[in-house]
Amino acid sequence: MLASLGGFAAASRTFGYAFEFSSARGFATEPAETAARQLARYPQKTELILLTDRPPQLETPLRYFRTDITPNDAFFVRWHLSGIPTTVDLQTFRLEVGGHVKKPLSLSLDDLQSKFEPVTQVALCQCAGNSRGLFEPRVPGGQWANGAMGNARWRGARLKDVLDAAEVLPGTVQVGLHGLDSPPLEKTPRFEKSLQIDHARDGDVIIAYEMNGEPLPMLNGFPIRLVVPGWYATYWVKALSSIKALDQPLKTFWMDKAYRIPDNADANEDHQHLSPLTIPINRMSVHSIFVRPEPDEQLRAGQRYELAGVANDGGNGIRRVEVSQDGGQTWSDATLGTDLGKYSWRRWQAWWTPPAIGSYRLMVRATNAAGETQRAAQWNRSGYQRGVIEQLDVVVL
Amino acid sequence: MSNWGIVLVVAVAAMGLTVSVRVYSQQPTTSASKPAAKAASPVHSIVLPQYPPGIAEGPNVETYRKDCLTCHTARYVSMQPRFSKTVWQNEVKKMVDAFGAAIPEADQALIVEYLVAVNGAEAPATISAPPR
Repeated sequence: MLASLGGFAAASRTFGYAFEFSSARGFATEPAETAARQLARYPQKTELILLTDRPPQLETPLRYFRTDITPNDAFFVRWHLSGIPTTVDLQTFRLEVGGHVKKPLSLSLDDLQSKFEPVTQVALCQCAGNSRGLFEPRVPGGQWANGAMGNARWRGARLKDVLDAAEVLPGTVQVGLHGLDSPPLEKTPRFEKSLQIDHARDGDVIIAYEMNGEPLPMLNGFPIRLVVPGWYATYWVKALSSIKALDQPLKTFWMDKAYRIPDNADANEDHQHLSPLTIPINRMSVHSIFVRPEPDEQLRAGQRYELAGVANDGGNGIRRVEVSQDGGQTWSDATLGTDLGKYSWRRWQAWWTPPAIGSYRLMVRATNAAGETQRAAQWNRSGYQRGVIEQLDVVVL
Repeated sequence: MSNWGIVLVVAVAAMGLTVSVRVYSQQPTTSASKPAAKAASPVHSIVLPQYPPGIAEGPNVETYRKDCLTCHTARYVSMQPRFSKTVWQNEVKKMVDAFGAAIPEADQALIVEYLVAVNGAEAPATISAPPR
């Protein structure tokens, strides 16, 4: 990590024009604090970047994004409140399904696995605040670089099937969801989220009991977590223990105050004129990053190098990825990797031979099947939904 | 034959346990947890490792420890870039208003003073580096 801190220092000296692009910084894919951060090893996890230890927030190092599926032990971790579940007894664990339903259910893990048709879906799980540390001006919050996401193959029961078994009553507008985590103080609001009933019953939302063919790691929500394909991870409630059908919208800090974005498609606002209207964050926007080179990597003039990365959107699927090696003056198409479905990220690669020693600004932008692409600049007060065209300054020796 | 005998004894012992726990830990597995894991216990458990944060020295650091670190690690502050006094005031207010922290008003001002001193936009670079 010291090496990458050194790399950052060198890069910021080299690139005096870091603010030439409105959202750019000379070290566009790694905030200084992350570069200096230590690695930590938690149960069922490999070494990850330690953001916080209580509650744990762990970021995935970029090199784990070189494969289509992110290994469970390298998958990022993000809890909100210090009372996280560390012990689950499957003999007593129950998912309670109640509220505005005809038949309340109390389901064991075995019930979920045996009484409902299993479905499998590859889906990207991305923190709403992924890449927050790259916004300029900086905003408070978890100072993630690009590693607060992971792509996994989820297996579980459809939320729709579980709600149908409980026979949701007419007049239901939302479902409220919470897990086994608990607040540190009596007055701290329990972490809970809601989904509109039509979304909850669309057939795509899964109560997952398997992640890449294995039980979920405890820190990723064992024994079950909600998988809301195409939507940011704040809705993917971990250690899910309660689903409540509601005839009134859920009133909670976690929907009404937190995880809100300016009321526009790009979650964009001016820091001197904040948007008066905000809405709950929802579908993921088009997003692409470099996985290779890494921020502190040095390239060689005349040597062919494989640029690589991942791109995702909120459920249309990525159709095109373009890269630039000259700060956006010219663009060329990257080759797309395996298509694992519209909710998966898509890996991309492009060969580049740096022509000469010097400094280069690499850029990547993606377009989805609906024709949506990425902005050159973006900011919002909470550092959510970053979808700005990625820039990476490299030194070629 | 004697090996099978041992396996049988272990299996019977594991079945006979009233509480057997699967413990996932990065520490070396204890002898007690090994047979439990083989018995596919319904109780899954992890032991969280300790990564104590460096706590920057500054004015009112004891107030900060008492009122803030009950609920969360000091890394919530040390991972942040330097922010203005207004930003830190808003953060403290959020902890009280939204998260229900019972911080007396007099303490709130002291905590803001601490945060500005150790990680304020105008503060000198005094924050201690995280332990490695």
